[in-house]
Amino acid sequence: MTATPTGLAPLAAGGRRLRDRRPPAALRPWLLLAPALLVVVVLFLGGFAFGVAQSFGYLPFLQSEALSLDAYRELFRDPAVRASFGLTFRIALLSTAVSAVLAVVVGLLIRGTRRGRRLATLLFQLNLPVPHVVGATAMLLLLGQSGLVSRLSTAVGLTEGTADFPALTGDAFGWGIIAEYVWKETPFIGVVVLAALTTGIAPYEEVARTLGATAWQRFRHVTLPLLTPAVVSTSVIVFAFSFGSYEVPYLLGRPFPSTLPVVAYESYRSTDLTQRAPAMAIAVVIALLIGLLVLVYMRLSERFLRAAR
Amino acid sequence: MRRRALALAAGTALLALTACGGSGGDTASSGAEFDLSDWASVEAAAEGQTVNWYMFGGSDPINAYVNGWVKDALAEKGVTLNQVRVDDTAEVVNRVLGEKQAGRDTGTVDMIWINGENFKTGKQADLWYCGWADDLPNAEFVDFDDPAVTSDFGEPVEGCEASWSRAQSVVVYDSAKLQPADVASLDALESWAKANPGRFTYPAPPDFTGSMVVRTFLYDVAGGPDDILGEFEQAEYDELAPQLWERLNALEPSLWRGGETYPQGGPEVQDLYGKGEVDAFLSYGAGDLAQQVADGVYPATTRTAVFEEGTIGNISFVTIPDNAPNKAAALVLANILQSPEGQYQKQVVTGAYPGIDLAAVPADVKAQFDAIEVPETDLPFEQQVRNSQPELVAEWVTALEEGWKANVLQR
Repeated sequence: MTATPTGLAPLAAGGRRLRDRRPPAALRPWLLLAPALLVVVVLFLGGFAFGVAQSFGYLPFLQSEALSLDAYRELFRDPAVRASFGLTFRIALLSTAVSAVLAVVVGLLIRGTRRGRRLATLLFQLNLPVPHVVGATAMLLLLGQSGLVSRLSTAVGLTEGTADFPALTGDAFGWGIIAEYVWKETPFIGVVVLAALTTGIAPYEEVARTLGATAWQRFRHVTLPLLTPAVVSTSVIVFAFSFGSYEVPYLLGRPFPSTLPVVAYESYRSTDLTQRAPAMAIAVVIALLIGLLVLVYMRLSERFLRAAR
Repeated sequence: MRRRALALAAGTALLALTACGGSGGDTASSGAEFDLSDWASVEAAAEGQTVNWYMFGGSDPINAYVNGWVKDALAEKGVTLNQVRVDDTAEVVNRVLGEKQAGRDTGTVDMIWINGENFKTGKQADLWYCGWADDLPNAEFVDFDDPAVTSDFGEPVEGCEASWSRAQSVVVYDSAKLQPADVASLDALESWAKANPGRFTYPAPPDFTGSMVVRTFLYDVAGGPDDILGEFEQAEYDELAPQLWERLNALEPSLWRGGETYPQGGPEVQDLYGKGEVDAFLSYGAGDLAQQVADGVYPATTRTAVFEEGTIGNISFVTIPDNAPNKAAALVLANILQSPEGQYQKQVVTGAYPGIDLAAVPADVKAQFDAIEVPETDLPFEQQVRNSQPELVAEWVTALEEGWKANVLQR
C-alpha cells in the first residue's frame, strides 16, 4: 500500500501530506461500511454458523464434538416437524396475500377520499407501532371462544354459549394467527402503497386518462404495474417474517400441530440438552427455507414486472 | 464467488474463535472476595451489589412478595434486588449455558428460582455454583433429613441450590358445579369429567403443571408412586405407559374442546376457569384463589380439594450459576429467603408453603404460622400435605413428557 495520490489528486496536491495517508479510495467505502458489515457478520452469520455447527452435533458442553447428520435425519421423522410444514406455509402465504390485497385496496380508497384523508391515513396506520404480542393478546380477547365476538354472537342469538362459538384461536387451521398478521401487516404494506400512490403515479394516470384509458385500464396497466415493485418487496418481508416468527403462533396456536418456529423453540428449551442438535437443525431448515423462498419470490416478481411492462 | 468465499472464511474464523472461547473458560470467582465459612465476610462483600434474580414471573402474589418484603429485607443489607421475570425457567438455563459456551466467566444471572428438570439440565452442563447451601446461617431451619430437600426430582442437591418453597398440587373447582364427592379422588374427578364433557382440561406437557397432571394419572395407574420412585427403569415405563396413554386417550373426548387440542400452559387453564370455560383444574398450589375471588375473576364458589390417595408435592429451590457476577449478594438473598420471618411473609402474601422445617423455627414464629387464617377457598396446610406424594426422578418426567406428546397429543 503506497501513499501515492489516488483518485483525488487535487486534494493531495501541495504540501498537505496528511491527506496522502488516507486509505485508498477503493477501500474507503468498505471501511465506512465496516461497522454495519461487522454487525451483520458477527451477529447474523456468526450466530448462523454456530447454529449450523450445533445442528451437526458440535456440543462441547456435553463433551460431544463428533459431527453427524443425525439431527437432520431425526428431524424428518419427527411428527411435530412434519405436521408443521403445511401449517407454516399456509399461514405465511395467506397472511401475506390477504395483507397485500387489502393494503392496495385500502390505499386506493384512501387516495380517493376528498376530505379527511389525513384522518383516514392515521386510522389505517394506527396499529403500526403496536407490538405483535399485544396484537395477539387482543385477538385472543376478540376471537377466543369466550371473547368479545363470541359474547356478541351469543347475545344476538347466533350461538348458544362459548363452546358453541367456532374455535378461531388454538384452532387447527390457524385463523387467529392469520387474522393477527393481516391486522398488523396490512398497514405495513399500506405505508409503502400510499407513498407510491401519492408520489410518482398520478402523472402517468393523468396521461393515460388523456389518452382515453378507462378506469379499469388505468388501474390494470398503469397503477398496478407501478405499485407492484413496492408491494412485492414489502410482501417478501412480510412473508419471511410471518414464516419465521414465534410469539404470535405460540399465543394463538395450539401445542400440535404448531408452526416451525414454535417447534424449534419448544425443542430448544427442552430440559434435555441432547435435544439441542435437532432444535438447531429445525432453525437451520427455517433459515434456508426463508432464503430459498425469497429467491423464488424475487424471480417471480421480476418476471411479473417484465410481463407487465 | 469471491464474496461467498469471504463470508465463508469469516464464518469459519468466527466459529474457531467461539470454540476457543468455550473451551478456554475456567471458573474464576467473580465480584468481591468472601469466605463461605465466615458469614460476615459474605455480607460485607455483598454490600452495594445488585442481585439479578431470574424467576418465573407469572404469579402476581409471588411478584408482590419478591418486590415487597424481600426487596426491603435485602435493602437493609445494602443489596439491591433486580427481579427478572421469565416465562419459562428453561430460558434462563439456556442463557447461562450460552454464556458458558461463549466462555464468559462473569455472566449476567445471579440467582434462579428453579425446578428439578432444569436443575438437572444445569448440572449436566456443569453450570451451578455448588457446596454453599449448607453454609447459609438460616440453613439451620432446613430439614436435611427430608428426601425432598436433599434431592430435587431425584437429582442430588449437593449444596448447589437452597430450598425455598413447598408446593402441593390441588384440585381447584367450582363448588356450584362439582360436589366434594366429585373431587374426592382422581377416579371420581375423571368420572365427573366424562359425565360433563368439555368442562375439564389440563395444559399440554412439557408445561410444568401439565406434566404434573400426567404424573398424577401415572401414580393412579401404578397404584401409588412407591414402585416407581428411584432410578428410572425402562421396563417399568414400558409396562405402565401404555395403560396411562390408554386412560388419557379415553378421557380426551370429554375434555375442553372435545380434547381436539390442549391449553399451552397453566396460566391459560386458569384463564379458561376464570372465563367459565372449564369448572375444575389441577394446580401446584394456587395461593391466590381468595384474591382472584375477591377480584371477581373466579366464581365465589371456588374451592380447593386434595384426593383421598394424595396429590403430588415438591420443594422448589433457588440456585446460583457458577458465573454469577454477584455471588455474595445472591448468597445473602438465599439466606433471607430461608429465614423464618421471610417464609412466614411468603405464606401470608402468596399462600405458598414453607421450604423450611416448621418444627425447627422459634416458637413465636411458629405461633405466627399457626395463626395464619386460611381463606374459605383454600385448605389448611396439614390437610393438603396429609398424603403428599413425592416427585419422580427427572428421567421419568422427561420420558413421560415425550411419551405424552407422541401417544396422546400427536395421536
